[in-house]
Amino acid sequence: MSVFPIAGAVAVGLALVATAAWAGLLGLLMAATRTPAVPTGPPTGVLPPEPPAVVDLITGGWRLCDEAAAATLLDLAARRVLAIEEIGPELSLVRLSRNPPAQPLTRYEQMVLEHVAGLARDRVVATAALAEGARHLGRWWKRFTRAVIDEARAAGLSQPRWSTRHRMILHGTAAVPAALAGVALLVLVPVDAYEDIDSMISAFFVAAGVTFMLLSRLVERLGGERGTPAGAAAAARWLGVREQLGAGRFADQPAAAVTIWGRPLAYAGALGLAERAVRSLPVSRPADDQRAWSDYGGMWHPVLVRYRGPGPWGRLFWARRGWPAVGFALAAGLFSGFWLWVLGLLASVVGWPDGLATPLAVLGALAVGGPPLVGALADLTHRTNVQGQVVRLRRHNRKANGSDVTHWLAIDDGRGRVVHAHGVDGPIWAGLVEGDLVRALVGRSWGWVYEVQVLRPSRHRTGGRNGDDATGHPRPAAAGGPPAAPPPTPRRRAGRWRATPGPAPNR
Amino acid sequence: MSTVLVVIAIAAIVVLAAGLLIVVVYNRLVRTRNAVDNAWAQVDVQLKRRYDLIPNLVETVRGYATHERRTFEAVTAARAAAINASGPAEQARAENMLTGALKSLFAVAEAYPQLQASRNFAELQGELADTENRIAYARQYYNDAVLTYNNAVQTVPTNIVASMTGFRQREFFAVPDAERGPVQVRF
Repeated sequence: MSVFPIAGAVAVGLALVATAAWAGLLGLLMAATRTPAVPTGPPTGVLPPEPPAVVDLITGGWRLCDEAAAATLLDLAARRVLAIEEIGPELSLVRLSRNPPAQPLTRYEQMVLEHVAGLARDRVVATAALAEGARHLGRWWKRFTRAVIDEARAAGLSQPRWSTRHRMILHGTAAVPAALAGVALLVLVPVDAYEDIDSMISAFFVAAGVTFMLLSRLVERLGGERGTPAGAAAAARWLGVREQLGAGRFADQPAAAVTIWGRPLAYAGALGLAERAVRSLPVSRPADDQRAWSDYGGMWHPVLVRYRGPGPWGRLFWARRGWPAVGFALAAGLFSGFWLWVLGLLASVVGWPDGLATPLAVLGALAVGGPPLVGALADLTHRTNVQGQVVRLRRHNRKANGSDVTHWLAIDDGRGRVVHAHGVDGPIWAGLVEGDLVRALVGRSWGWVYEVQVLRPSRHRTGGRNGDDATGHPRPAAAGGPPAAPPPTPRRRAGRWRATPGPAPNR
Repeated sequence: MSTVLVVIAIAAIVVLAAGLLIVVVYNRLVRTRNAVDNAWAQVDVQLKRRYDLIPNLVETVRGYATHERRTFEAVTAARAAAINASGPAEQARAENMLTGALKSLFAVAEAYPQLQASRNFAELQGELADTENRIAYARQYYNDAVLTYNNAVQTVPTNIVASMTGFRQREFFAVPDAERGPVQVRF
């Protein structure tokens, strides 16, 4: 309770009025700096000179969508920097040219080409494998966006929403409501709540600072890019091209059709008209948890990753180390035995033979707990070596509070197209990168990894990591959710095409 | 009377369920078989591309190495045998022979520095290497499709429907010994 309730109310009121006035100023500046109206130009088949990624930017409200990366790859294919070949309905290849590009590439084109080259084996990578690799997708996308925006600005099509003067005005005036918020806090909190004058000053600066930061953050969030008059005119022309291309059947064309269609397919991709081609080139999308692409053995191939073991007990007991698995098997046996015993007792009440409860309980306990117990005991003594390439490293919270985390390690040993991800200790997991060639000592029954030896480090190790946290691995998911939260992904245009997130694991 | 009706109803439901299961399984078998056929067609396309390149290659080498008649004849015969081969197993044998003949041709070419320096030869060599790589991927794709199909044909309960409706196992397109390890398609 404030000592000066009226003064407190006045101070809060002043702070609110100042904030409202500042918001009004912000609104005025936003109206003054909005992108000029972009009418759709007359339909035309003549392609203006802007590259597809820039077209994506200026026709998407000056925000880059994730078709831009795929459209850039299609454009590179149309210009013979690389080739996209269809081997089957579910397999296409990107093949790098033997010769260097005839024309210099832009920074973002170089980024796409480097990503492809980093994945390629013998100059070849499967299109679906373009989501693989160990890059940090969020950072990669940021650099890509920056490069596209720089090119659009250099061409006079785009400019930052806030000029230096706008920023100075907005940040400078934000100091007023921030200071009034600090004063309001001082007036509202009783004087005796402070230990000394220093703590009062600190409270003022904390309140003012937090308010200032929030307002500044709002300014930056509302910043971004806006179109210049030239950009709006170019966007109008491209919308006319979109009208023309929309009459074609680009939506069903595979990426390999770029051999026939050439650059119009790349532009159709940038304009959101070539859904199938763009979707088949996941350059800027996170890798699927359950469908990995591996180049172990020299050729890219798909590998289905299961986050559980084989057989009926695989869901419950897989990825558990020896002694905990023994305990879990005993607990499962006792639990089922107890309830079967209770069931037997109830059955005897309704006329079933007496003495059925105990044998039923024993049999049930043995049936449920016996096989996993044998498997768990076997894991304590008999382990096997698995050698192959790490294709997935994921974390999964068994509990919502994150207290029980399972670290998953999926190894493609080249013997099949389905692999069961193993459980592994966090410290071992943290030292691995997708693409590492490893030899792992694994429990035969319940798939716990006891030792891992890296035989050959991943070639992606030098290129950063795919994860999103400090260790370079994806963040853990909430219990019951997917095994890892995807890294920040590029924006998709509403209504263009549906996102296809990786399916959730079975545990 | 009512008991008879119940029995008939249960029998009808069982028959209906069995019929539905057969339809679902049959459709799945058809889909996987079509996938195999499609994958084989892709292999065929890549093999034909390879056959088309060989005459140009032979003519280019012949322009520099006129006295290597036996090698040229071996390549031409192996190509003809590969074109006439039918079925994955026979095709694989013929392709292995053709690969061996091509290796002899490239071995001959190494003795002619002017040929090695020829841009046309280098382009053909590169194109052939790319085609070999495409064949390797098409073969992998085909073998994956065959594995899926054969698994369906052999496992319960689809094997029952498969045997009733004439679905037979398909042959794998055997990988040459040299390609069992990491693939390095170079001549």
